Amino acid sequence: MSYTFFPGCSLEGSAKDFHSSTMAVAAKLGLGLPELKDWICCGSTAAHASDPLLADALPAKSLSAAGGATVAVACAACYSRLKTANHHIASDAALRAKVAEVVGRDYDGRTPVLHMLEILCRDVGLDRIAAAVSRPLSGLKVACYYGCLLARPPEITNFDDAENPTLMDKLMEAAGAEPVDWPYKTECCGASASITDSSIVLDLGNKILAMAQTAGADCIVTACPLCQLNLDLRQKDMEARFGRTYNLPVFYFTQLLGLAMGCPADKLSLASLVVEPQALLQAKGIGAEA
Amino acid sequence: MTGGMAPSIEIESIGGSLAGDVQARSGTSPMSCFQCAKCSSGCPVAARADIKPHELVRMVQMDQREAVLSSRFIWECTSCQTCATRCPQNVSVAGMNDALRAMSRAAAAPAPSTVPAFTEVFLDAVRNRGRVSELALMIRYKLRTGRFFEDADKAPVMLKKGKLPLFGTQVGGKSERKALFARAAKGGAK
Ligand code: SF4
Ligand code: SF4
Repeated sequence: MSYTFFPGCSLEGSAKDFHSSTMAVAAKLGLGLPELKDWICCGSTAAHASDPLLADALPAKSLSAAGGATVAVACAACYSRLKTANHHIASDAALRAKVAEVVGRDYDGRTPVLHMLEILCRDVGLDRIAAAVSRPLSGLKVACYYGCLLARPPEITNFDDAENPTLMDKLMEAAGAEPVDWPYKTECCGASASITDSSIVLDLGNKILAMAQTAGADCIVTACPLCQLNLDLRQKDMEARFGRTYNLPVFYFTQLLGLAMGCPADKLSLASLVVEPQALLQAKGIGAEA
Repeated sequence: MTGGMAPSIEIESIGGSLAGDVQARSGTSPMSCFQCAKCSSGCPVAARADIKPHELVRMVQMDQREAVLSSRFIWECTSCQTCATRCPQNVSVAGMNDALRAMSRAAAAPAPSTVPAFTEVFLDAVRNRGRVSELALMIRYKLRTGRFFEDADKAPVMLKKGKLPLFGTQVGGKSERKALFARAAKGGAK
């Protein structure tokens, strides 16, 4: 299968580390991920909360330029918007015609869109992943945190079980880590309320961190730039407001996978994490290639 | 029909009602809700909301237009899709809230939230550059809302961690994008 990568705006900014670690893992696996040319923003919540037609037209513009390749996405929010637009356009001829008018070309809603977790677990396969692991993450207890938009709503994303997804858990297992069993895999972190009303994020994020800690996790693993940023950048504020101590590093799954595969440290960009992971990694004897 | 008597419930009148408007915009059917409250039990913001999800649906059914359009809840919804995933009647409160936000803006109802300001600066960035630079977005949002001191400690941390590049990328085709936005606004207007 040939892929074309849709980074999305966050991966060019606050989630640059997600971008570079995704590329490092892909390179290790010999997975070609050329960037989709001239992609534009998926529109995010701003578009779907104000103009449903625009919310379908923006993804359609990018997806119609994929030229038959499968669009690979790392950001859970972009993934959700691209899949939702596909679902709407492919199932509603009248809407498809409207979108064609807005975009200036017809698009059938059928460009396949896959998240990197799906590509790694299902296309590449867990056997090949396990075979590429040279430095297993032994003894590292991880809370795999999927957030809202990968698994919901299932009829649109068709990602995994909506209430108990396991793709990331399986990937972490293949990397030698120990995923903990915990009930908050798909709870919401507050997403973009981070900007408009951060008290929502403090409330929700605190519950997620507390549950991960109770479940015995050493760290959190994420697949979404907003989840990562909210739990990492605001973790100190949550500790202060609720009188707790967490000190739980919040990784992207590609960073941990890259560590297990011996990817170069600069590509994994662990220095960009706000809650420092070094002490934990050292205690577990996990280190990146210098 | 019973002896030519007018039916007591005029289903047709729903077309002009709040429920009808919401359905036309969102494709979800508020009238299908049977008030099981499953949406509210899983909703991450229900505990703090002025109106809980199932209450909102009931108020829409009862045509409480003003109360609904000026509620805080429609802006606090995080679009997490839990309600839509779990509803036994296939009602999407998430989708209803999108529609209600747009209707609230169209009716110029006072928004007890800075979400509209954020939405506007966000979409402006997409229209102008094709992509969103988070730093530029934050600056514009703060200029619009005057909330300069909130989170003032966050930007330096993000800059230090390389999470806020000073220059975002952009794509060409600005005039084409402007036309696309204009056509969407026309086609989307109901
Ligand atoms: S879950 Fe569905 S049917 Fe139940 S109260 Fe909520 S909207 Fe109504
Ligand atoms: S989408 Fe909105 S209303 Fe539905 S559960 Fe999430 S926050 Fe609540």
